[in-house]
Amino acid sequence: MSNLVIILAIFGWAILTYLAFKINKTLGNVFVGVLALALPAYFFTYTPSDYTVSVMGMSLQFGFTSFASLFAMLVVVLSSFALLYSIPYMNKKDRLGWFYMNFMFSVGGMMGILMSKDLVSLFIFWEIMTWSSYLIVIYQGKKVNKVGLKYMIFSAIGAYAMLMAIVLINKWSGNVNIEQFFASFPNYSSAAKLLSSLLLLTGFGVKSALMPLHVWAPGAYTKSPMSYTAVFSGALSKMGIYGMALVAVNLYVHSNMPIMGEVIAWAGAITAVLATFWAIFQNDIRKLLAYSSIGQLGYIAVGLGIGTELSVFAGLYLAILHGLFKGVLWMVVGAIEHRTGKTDFRDISGLIKKMPFTFFVALVAIIALAGMPPLSGFVGKWMLYESMITSNHFIMVLFIFLSSTAAFLYCFHFLYGLFLGQQEDEFLKDVKEVPVLMMIPMGLISLSLIAFGTFPGLIFKPIAQAMSTLGFENVTWRMSSLTNAWGNSMFLKPANFMFMAVFVFFLIIITVVNHKKTKKVGTKDIANGGEPIRDEDNLHYSVDIYRPFYRVISPIMKYKVETFYKRISKGIEEFFQFFRRIYSGNGQTYALYVVIFLTALLILSSTIF
Amino acid sequence: MVVANPILYVALPLLVAFLLPLFGKIHKELIRVVPGLLFMFLIFNTVVLFSEVTSTGKPIITQIAGWAPPIGINLVFSAFSGFIAGIISIMGLLVWVYSYKFKKVEFDNSLKYFVLIMLVTAGSIGVVLTGDIFNLFVFLEIVALSSYPLVAFYRGRDGAEASFKYLIVGAFASIAILLGIVLIYSQLGTLNMAEISLRIGEMPEKIKITAFILLFLGFGIEAEMFPLNGWAPDAYSQAPGPVGAVFASMTAKAGIYTIIRLVFTLFDIDAGYQLLLGMGIITLVVSEGIALRQEKLKRMLAFSSLGQMGLLMIAFGINTKAAVVAGMFILFNHAVIKSLLFFSGSYLVYNSENKNIKDLFGFGKKLPLTAFLFGLGAFAIVGLPPLSGFWAKLSLLMASADSNLIALIALILIVSVVEIVYYFRVVNGLYFKKYTGEFEPHKPSWNASLVMLILAAVIVTVGLYPDLIYNYFVNAADALMDKANYIQNVLPSNFVGLN
Amino acid sequence: MSEELMQQILSISFYGASLALILIGVYGVLTKKNLIKILLSLTIVDSGVNLLFVSLGYIMNGTAPIFSPAIMDGKIEVLKTAPMVDPVPQALVLTAIVIGLGVTAVGLALVIRLFRHHNTTNIDEIRNLKW
Repeated sequence: MSNLVIILAIFGWAILTYLAFKINKTLGNVFVGVLALALPAYFFTYTPSDYTVSVMGMSLQFGFTSFASLFAMLVVVLSSFALLYSIPYMNKKDRLGWFYMNFMFSVGGMMGILMSKDLVSLFIFWEIMTWSSYLIVIYQGKKVNKVGLKYMIFSAIGAYAMLMAIVLINKWSGNVNIEQFFASFPNYSSAAKLLSSLLLLTGFGVKSALMPLHVWAPGAYTKSPMSYTAVFSGALSKMGIYGMALVAVNLYVHSNMPIMGEVIAWAGAITAVLATFWAIFQNDIRKLLAYSSIGQLGYIAVGLGIGTELSVFAGLYLAILHGLFKGVLWMVVGAIEHRTGKTDFRDISGLIKKMPFTFFVALVAIIALAGMPPLSGFVGKWMLYESMITSNHFIMVLFIFLSSTAAFLYCFHFLYGLFLGQQEDEFLKDVKEVPVLMMIPMGLISLSLIAFGTFPGLIFKPIAQAMSTLGFENVTWRMSSLTNAWGNSMFLKPANFMFMAVFVFFLIIITVVNHKKTKKVGTKDIANGGEPIRDEDNLHYSVDIYRPFYRVISPIMKYKVETFYKRISKGIEEFFQFFRRIYSGNGQTYALYVVIFLTALLILSSTIF
Repeated sequence: MVVANPILYVALPLLVAFLLPLFGKIHKELIRVVPGLLFMFLIFNTVVLFSEVTSTGKPIITQIAGWAPPIGINLVFSAFSGFIAGIISIMGLLVWVYSYKFKKVEFDNSLKYFVLIMLVTAGSIGVVLTGDIFNLFVFLEIVALSSYPLVAFYRGRDGAEASFKYLIVGAFASIAILLGIVLIYSQLGTLNMAEISLRIGEMPEKIKITAFILLFLGFGIEAEMFPLNGWAPDAYSQAPGPVGAVFASMTAKAGIYTIIRLVFTLFDIDAGYQLLLGMGIITLVVSEGIALRQEKLKRMLAFSSLGQMGLLMIAFGINTKAAVVAGMFILFNHAVIKSLLFFSGSYLVYNSENKNIKDLFGFGKKLPLTAFLFGLGAFAIVGLPPLSGFWAKLSLLMASADSNLIALIALILIVSVVEIVYYFRVVNGLYFKKYTGEFEPHKPSWNASLVMLILAAVIVTVGLYPDLIYNYFVNAADALMDKANYIQNVLPSNFVGLN
Repeated sequence: MSEELMQQILSISFYGASLALILIGVYGVLTKKNLIKILLSLTIVDSGVNLLFVSLGYIMNGTAPIFSPAIMDGKIEVLKTAPMVDPVPQALVLTAIVIGLGVTAVGLALVIRLFRHHNTTNIDEIRNLKW
């Protein structure tokens, strides 16, 4: 029972919060805060138990598997932090009740997905999550018409692919229980295997923004309020990963269909490369992070697709980690937007002076994202590479290597363009550090990233437990060291301290040596050879910094899958535009249809009947 | 029970319709109050009869003028026909509440309006309840004859044009039905549906099929089947707002009922089911596709409504228990959700001349409640959980999976994506396009808001807990599919007719 | 000529006439452009169907299905065994005629409304609602 109660409580609380905002903003904020604190408090203390509801002759079961509770942990932590962060962030916006209600609905939806032990209730919560996130995507109202519609259409395609799979599974397996589906999957005919798994993958692939189903993601991540995007990109997209992991591992690894795993892995690898390239050339921070998210989800898909014990482990580790550092990065963007009102590289620079705390957490998250040693991202990359090499995916290693190297470009762009670089006093005059309530979530998550870098075992433990649900029993892990298949092992504590010592050493040396040479430079501080500076001239160094690189790879960037989708939808619309002329508006024509229909039936009667 | 009787469904609305002008002479308010009282009584009637049917498990047969069937006309209130009659009477009450403060309230206008609504109700329920095929024809004509003036109700609009098209096609329908009846009568010498059903095998194959085709055509026109539905979008879009809901929840229900009875009970032609299924698929695809390209709100709703009728035909055409149950669910949903959409939609385009979709841009802030309810209706009709549309769609899909119609599942789902596209275009426009300022928003009166809220509450409640009414669907499906039981109950002595 | 043959010829000519009426009417509805002519064609179809229906129940030399006192008294013995005309089609046709009348009346009213609105009775020009 307690499982269902937690979801119903979230939904009920969402409506109460809406009403509270109707009465008074402060009261509403209190409601938000209470949920943000109560959710983790309840989640980490209660003991799960199974519960069954019977609807229309189907029995819907709820309960946590250890695999689901791994993701539930991410959802709970991230959403309660994001809710806390929202209170100051959303302070000046209107229709707050509506926003928070849908926020909580989507949190409830995610928890519901993770609790569902059957496909129908999974689908129900999936759709609740979808429409509530849609309502938030369109919440800001400005120029979101197309974005919202695109998100909804792609979600619908994914969801209906999933629904089709569900009804077919119901027929083939006799019920909709997930475990029984996996159990009976080996007995399916090969066509049934292929169809059901492809449909499920489409469904989960849309939410995890796997190419070529990612088209909705940059717009949707960008247009929703940043405090929600932290959850949207950090946790909500992980629901796709959750489903994909279930399907990929249970169906392909254990049912001997490795080819489908390869398909997922390659889709992930290509996604990782292309999305990273796209991220490099964005001039909007939010777009940059959106494409970066898509690329990171690609890594995770690679891990799940390869399907060995280590790769799945790496995939799950990266999934959790991505949720955390991307959550921080979106909050950083939100903080910048909150204080400056701008999100374009052309408008922002030199924020380190006024927002040092924000810079620090951004630095931590970026290092984790880039996968450099002192922080936790390194551990994930290590495991991913090792799993690819041990399973003989050498070409894929090249792809991932290319992608993670290219990722440095946008990581640098992000840090440099926003916090360092040329400084304009005019711009920085009114900028302040963010309020404490926004600092706490960012700070705590960053701390956890640092901690996991040295003690990855803190996450390894729940992941290892989760793996048992996927059929990998007794996964070995160590608290603070990594071992590989060749018997080498690395102790993270000394390695990290060494790394940091070297870093600090060089930092001091460079600072001392260059101390005299440093000089503040504004964007207008240039030698221009006597020509007047026009407004449209780009004076900002961090804009278009990768233009030469773009020239090199532009041939592959020309093809966008989006144009293909556009052409299809246009074709359909034009077809029906032509088709609607059947309804000519003339009553006689309609009468003629009747007569034709009658004659046709009479003539064909001998064949039909 | 003396008070509740199936005959009252038909007799009372007819009586009230003709006495209403007299009531108007006594006191003007009576013409608005009396129909409401009548609808309340009809609902009471439904409740009493339904509880009797469920407790005894047998349909209630009423003989008119004391002649036992098959000679006399009889009314059959079974779990199936009673279910539809119940939907019609409840929707009738809601339509009445909605139009209680009818806009541009003039005595003459509201008198005409309520008289016509009474006639439509009497006709629709009569169609559903009657056990005599000629009687069914007469009731269908009552529905049609009272729908023509309702479509042409406003002088300013192109209602007369729509009505005239409806009339031409409707006349063809009545001719086809009459010819079909003639053929059946010439062979079997009976008009009682149970007896026809019992003895249909006696008819020569050729004549049987010709009669089937004629009736299929005639009822297909009433059930808005493509390509016989040219009149429907015009009629839906030109009629006054509540009448769109009346069409969706009453006359269309009567139409689909006739075609279901034709295929399931009257004839024993197996290809009939496949024909129904095929026509349903065509209707669904064509209508939803054309709805994608509509610029006018009500026309879009009309085409969407036609698509739902296609879905209904698919459900009944599959002809398994599960599919029929799903069909009942869709039937219920269509009545409730489409009415909500028509009710709220007609307030959104209230002051606009052309009723274009772009005229309601930005109304989300101007009419928050109405726009929200329209959005809820749109969410429900495309089948987003946890609203009631989802369960209907799910059960239909599961039923088609059980019948191995995998391509059909894909088709229905693709069409659902199309549905999402055009509904969400409107919802997006409501909230996120700039208000043009060209049209003054018109606030719905309290009674209209009340009706819309009730419908929304039903949608949400059923969506959260479908088991609440699921049993009714199952019972209705049982009653429909058990043909032998129907004959047995109407003709208890298994009477084998006159000749 | 025997009575049976007579009966057959009669019924065939009835059927033929009604079929002809129906076809003429349908042709009129589909080809005539004038609203009133279309309505007239519809009534012709109606008459055809009604004729067909009535002729079904007709029997040569049949009497009306009325048990009048004269018959009951047995004064006219012949009639007692004489075939009766089937009364049901006649009752139905009466109903159908009334319905047809109603449809025509509504149709004519609509034509008046349309003429006022569009100033024409050509159906091709009344196409405001389309697509």
